[in-house]
Amino acid sequence: MRPFNPQFMLDVIPNLLPFLWVTLTVVLGTVFFGSLLGFVLAQAKLSQKPRYRWLVDGYIYIIRCTPSIVLLFIVFYGLPKFCLEVFDTDINRYDKIFFVIVTFTLLFSAPISEVMRSAYEATDHGQYEAAVSIGLTPWQAFYHIVLPQATVVALPNFGNSVIELMKEGALAYTIGLIDLIGKGQLIISQNYGAYALETYLSLSFIYLLLTLGVEKSFLCLEHALSRQKKVV
Amino acid sequence: MLKITNVHKKYNDNEVLKGVDITVDKGDVVVILGPSGSGKTTLLRCINFLDHANQGEMEFDEYHLQLNSASTSEVRKIRQKTAFVFQNYNLFQNKTVLENVTAGLIIGRNMEKKQAVDLALKALAKVGLSDRVDFYPSQLSGGQQQRVGIARAIAVEPDVILFDEPTSALDPELIGEVLSVIKQLAQEGTTMIIVTHEMKFAADVATHVIFMADGNIVEEGTPKDIFQHPKEERTRNFLRRILPPQVEYNI
Amino acid sequence: MDINYQFLIKTFYLVLTAVPTTLNITAVSLLIAMPLAFYLAVVRMRPGKYIRPLISAYITFVRGTPIFLQILIIYSILPSFLNSTAKYFALEVNVFDWNPIIYAYIVFSLNTTALLCEVFRSALGSINKGQLEAALCAGMTTAQAYRHIIIPQALVVAMPNICNLTVKLIKGTSLAFLMTVKDMTAVAKIAASYGYNYIEAYMDVFVGYIIVCSVVQVLFDFAEKHVGKFRLIKQK
Repeated sequence: MRPFNPQFMLDVIPNLLPFLWVTLTVVLGTVFFGSLLGFVLAQAKLSQKPRYRWLVDGYIYIIRCTPSIVLLFIVFYGLPKFCLEVFDTDINRYDKIFFVIVTFTLLFSAPISEVMRSAYEATDHGQYEAAVSIGLTPWQAFYHIVLPQATVVALPNFGNSVIELMKEGALAYTIGLIDLIGKGQLIISQNYGAYALETYLSLSFIYLLLTLGVEKSFLCLEHALSRQKKVV
Repeated sequence: MLKITNVHKKYNDNEVLKGVDITVDKGDVVVILGPSGSGKTTLLRCINFLDHANQGEMEFDEYHLQLNSASTSEVRKIRQKTAFVFQNYNLFQNKTVLENVTAGLIIGRNMEKKQAVDLALKALAKVGLSDRVDFYPSQLSGGQQQRVGIARAIAVEPDVILFDEPTSALDPELIGEVLSVIKQLAQEGTTMIIVTHEMKFAADVATHVIFMADGNIVEEGTPKDIFQHPKEERTRNFLRRILPPQVEYNI
Repeated sequence: MDINYQFLIKTFYLVLTAVPTTLNITAVSLLIAMPLAFYLAVVRMRPGKYIRPLISAYITFVRGTPIFLQILIIYSILPSFLNSTAKYFALEVNVFDWNPIIYAYIVFSLNTTALLCEVFRSALGSINKGQLEAALCAGMTTAQAYRHIIIPQALVVAMPNICNLTVKLIKGTSLAFLMTVKDMTAVAKIAASYGYNYIEAYMDVFVGYIIVCSVVQVLFDFAEKHVGKFRLIKQK
């Protein structure tokens, strides 16, 4: 068995880092679109019409039971066919990153809608009533009074969901997207299978930095935003 | 029977017990009174090694040990001779009333189930809860839970029972049922050390009263001594604030 | 959309035959992880030991890296490592003949233990300290107190999280195909590659996972009610 070469771990990092932007693009794109979709879903779940609530419940349940890789394959193989039939557009040539972001947006929106909904329900609605009673429009009351407080409550869980997303996003390589892990696999095959452990450990190190970084950032955000809130 | 000397306990820089001595003979009911922060609960918990004293000596029948350096087996032996009744009852939530009382016997003392159940039922009868043996603590009122706690303590037939403010967490109308159980135990000659705020009860039941403040014993004596002829100023101040004014009715 | 219904139905039954493999990996990983995780969680709560930073490092690594990567690491080094070890001790075993499901057991056990340890740590922390004190005062040793009083209560508190973790684990086993294990996803992939019927195959396995996860959730609901029967509504 080939001896372990720690030096390689350091050497390989400059080759990997350029592809960090692919991973980050996936994460940021997913967070953006996933939060939008999650917001819509949360609204639907809070609505008065039971039909919308059931739809959202069903969606969340199905997403919760689906492995990322299965959904990835379904979107990758199924979406082009679907678009061809229904919209008469050929998306087969689209960059793989498109399919990755679509898949993870669907996956991310489910837990995020729950995070948003429970944060909204945890805030004190008396304050909303007070706001509209002094003349704010419902939107102003929501935006200036409810949203800031709900955000603070939601932050820890939102951060956790982002970290989970980062880890699940690593699967993008299975449909051929060359992100961090994709590049790592390419390097390994360029070395005819040698230095696999060293490459993977370097990748792990980068991911650890990413996840710990995100965790710390969210903690700082929480502290900054909740300074206004005095804990009794 | 039990003699504890020179107990010191510090929490960081705060000295909570500044050299306390306490002697208990068989059949004694020792009541410890005092304002909050006087160290009375800490003293009680140090006796049972729930809190770790910094200094102190214990002579308990044939056992002679240092409070700060007792070994795990010595601690366990002391705990097998004592029983503790907590302010918050601390009943085992996942066990029925009967299982709560037999736990110390079956698990802690390796007793046979039939014998343990017999002892447990006798203890539960004594506290008046024979009809609740299969209930879970979450189904009982506070007073009932505390009585189970007392039954749990009686069942192991300890040499001394330690009570840490047994009625402080109870609603006022439930205090009486617990106090009457303790009173009955006192009348039967059970050795007890009780930390409490119930003055009238203390006067009724105690053979010996200790008044503590700021980590020291200020005064001790018989109930008559302490309640009717307190010697120290501090004791008088405390009693004046706690006891309702004595109003005499003369019809 | 032209869907090959015959293939759809045939592959669905094929996927169902692989369900035991998926459940097998899940169950074995859980069985190994539960006692280990409890033990680690308790060890972490005791003061002053050198082993605590080690355990924390292990848990941080598992929680901070994708399981995809953990699988790649274990699968790339473990077989050759075991092979070298066998050669060193001159044992007559052909490591490469072993059923690859063993590697699945190892990876998912290691992963689940770390995650479960966190769950147990918070569950144990939520148990009132007075329960331990009362148990010790009743004459039990620490070990007896944990076994009879603390751990049963912690288990009930942890149940919803254990259920979530199990569902995540089942979804995680979908990656076992990377280690040439014939689980549900592997079977679907293989069937799809014959005739390029990807959509049908993955729709089948998609439904398969929904069924498996639903059954597991129902079982957990039942377990939670049974184990937690002492948590009745307080009646005064």
